[in-house]
Amino acid sequence: MSSLYLLIPLGVLVVFGSIAAFVSAVFSGQFEELDAQADKLPDDER
Amino acid sequence: MSERDWTVYDRADLRRGFATVRGDACDVTVALDGLHCAACAARAEKAIAGGAREVHVDVAARSLRFRYEPAVTQLSSLLAALERSGLEPRLLAVPDDTDHGQRRQRLSLARIGVATICAMQVMMLAWPSYFGVDSGPDLEPLLRWAQLSLSIPGVLWAGWPFLSAAATSLRERALDMNVPIALALLAAFAASALRTVAGDGELYFDTATMFVWFLLIGRHLEGRSRDKAHAHLRLLAARRALTAQRRVGRSVETIAIDALAIGDVAIVAPGETLPADGRLIERAAELDEALLSGESRPVVHAVGDVVLAGSLNLGSTALALEVERLGRDTVLAQIAGLLDNASRDKPRVQRIADRLAGHFVAVVLLLAVLGAGLALGNGADGERAFGIALAVLVASCPCALSLAVPAALAASTSRLARHGVLVANAGALTTLADIDTVLFDKTGTLTRNDMVLRRVFSLDGSELSRATEIAAALERGSRHPIATAFASVATRLDAESVRQTPGAGIEGRIADERWWLGAPDSAPWPIIVPADAGQRPDDTLIVLCNPRAAVALFILNTRLRAEASAVVQALGERGMQIELLSGDGAEAVAAVAGRLGITRHAARQTPAGKLAHLQSLQQHGRRVLAVGDGLNDAPLLAAANVSAAMANGAALTQSRADLLLLGDSLRLLPLALDVAQTTRRRIRENLGWALGYNLLVLPLAMTGHLAPWLAAAGMSVSSLLVVSNALRTERRLLPTAALPVQELRA
Repeated sequence: MSSLYLLIPLGVLVVFGSIAAFVSAVFSGQFEELDAQADKLPDDER
Repeated sequence: MSERDWTVYDRADLRRGFATVRGDACDVTVALDGLHCAACAARAEKAIAGGAREVHVDVAARSLRFRYEPAVTQLSSLLAALERSGLEPRLLAVPDDTDHGQRRQRLSLARIGVATICAMQVMMLAWPSYFGVDSGPDLEPLLRWAQLSLSIPGVLWAGWPFLSAAATSLRERALDMNVPIALALLAAFAASALRTVAGDGELYFDTATMFVWFLLIGRHLEGRSRDKAHAHLRLLAARRALTAQRRVGRSVETIAIDALAIGDVAIVAPGETLPADGRLIERAAELDEALLSGESRPVVHAVGDVVLAGSLNLGSTALALEVERLGRDTVLAQIAGLLDNASRDKPRVQRIADRLAGHFVAVVLLLAVLGAGLALGNGADGERAFGIALAVLVASCPCALSLAVPAALAASTSRLARHGVLVANAGALTTLADIDTVLFDKTGTLTRNDMVLRRVFSLDGSELSRATEIAAALERGSRHPIATAFASVATRLDAESVRQTPGAGIEGRIADERWWLGAPDSAPWPIIVPADAGQRPDDTLIVLCNPRAAVALFILNTRLRAEASAVVQALGERGMQIELLSGDGAEAVAAVAGRLGITRHAARQTPAGKLAHLQSLQQHGRRVLAVGDGLNDAPLLAAANVSAAMANGAALTQSRADLLLLGDSLRLLPLALDVAQTTRRRIRENLGWALGYNLLVLPLAMTGHLAPWLAAAGMSVSSLLVVSNALRTERRLLPTAALPVQELRA
């Protein structure tokens, strides 16, 4: 039970971390043109 | 294929039209007609790898987006590289609000995501309290503070659109649905925050975050349907040409669209967009006018036809046109302007619904207080009274009521626009559903303005085909309606020193002989019409004479529109009373009415007479749709309950009609009526559902039978139902897409 004193604050921090990651992903355009990525050919030179 | 000259795109003054400037860099979107597969996409990326960054290829939309720095890279070299790879690049114009729209969409998505994460996490943390688990004096505050910290982004940031909209609404002293939402959110959040600090009492963080989450999903779906409604507008904007090819002497130069002037000869290469409205010269052309008229098939235009900016040259050769209208005067710009106005216009039904929602909100606020007061009076504790007030606020929020009308109208307007019916006045769609009488004008509406050659008679035994060719040669170049009857006659003859006497005839010299063509009354020789001519009362007769004798008699007739009789029949099947009013003579009107099966008709009508007739119909309780050409019958159109006009060319904005039928055709009239019927049905269903739902849940919430979280779920589902019901109109009514898929995604 006492582990909860560490895990709950840690959980909240992780949630904030994932919120930040998600928001930055949205604003870099990762969720736009979802179909376009599938049309890309693997490029060995990059 | 010779390489095109792309250097015009390097000019800084033009850049605003096609690029979004970000500091030193520019973002551009290029349509690639040659892009078909993944391999092509890789080829495109390779081709511009040297100068472009952030390359996005979209194979489905056949487009390519990239960023480049004008100071370092010349756009022309990138475009040329794409062309060398066989990808046929075409730079797309950016609509002015792309940037803004993209930011709005991203914010909306981010808010939904944050609300989702927070709502789920808060629920996890509220878990022990759901089951009355006593988590002990040490753990309990930890759980509370954790919920509070997750609710800050979940309610205050994700729910910010509702809070700020409510503030605006209060500042403008007009209650709207955002007020109870904001009130509920703030009350739940503030009360729970205070109790967190105090360490005692029930928390509503879970309700608040879930409410925001549901609301955002509803708003996102509504926004998407609205964006869809504006897709047509964006396509129109993207069709604007940025540059034009102008012929100067024997050469062709590429210039900015602004530099093009009326009277210039513009050259349009295959696959390019016409830069201006103008008259086709030199050779016929095949055009794609889908965006302008809803006609999805290619349209063939003859030399001398007016062709419109925004059409696509589908032929395999370049076409030439003489510029007649530019920029804002083009039909393309006018259509875009009209659509834009219509989308901002608030029809009467919607104003009523808004006012209703406003009153409703005031009542809801009162009821929330009342409900809490009653609970307190009945001996309930403050805790329960607060819960009841919250439930009333949330449950009765008239979100669905406010969405009911606009969602249905937006869906119908956008679909009609795609098929070639512009709704210039959004209120007209709802009125159109009540129409029981259709009043047609004759000339230019049921009949075409041009004439057809019905029969030819030889008066002196000479050859008919030669007489027809002579007449055609004389009429060539004339703008008189009679000339249209001879437009399709091919002839090598040339008329010289042609002179036209208005009202009488036309004369000229052909192969060293003088010829005269005109009305029998003014002919130089007495004319006897052959008994077997089969002359009809509405026919127009003209004769061809030379200095020796009358040679031939031509019987012309105005042409009925090909679709006229089908449309009249379709309207009749819908129970419409159809009437024909015309300024023409009784015989001509009766003949047209007879051919179309219209029993009620009136001839020799002055504009004032038409108006009086319309008003007497209205006094007898008839609701009248007037259909005209939009110019000669303006008073009639203005007085009718709903007016529709055939729109073409410059007439578009001058026309005061509520509905504009593009593509110079009546065929869409029955469709517009059907859409209006369905729209009205959807609006009624939506309003009925929204009002019914709110009235049903209010008593439940007030008596405390509805928990706040359940109220939040119910309200959101109600809004979603309304929006999806409106979208159902769209899908079911008009399954055929007028545009190819690739264009919709462009």
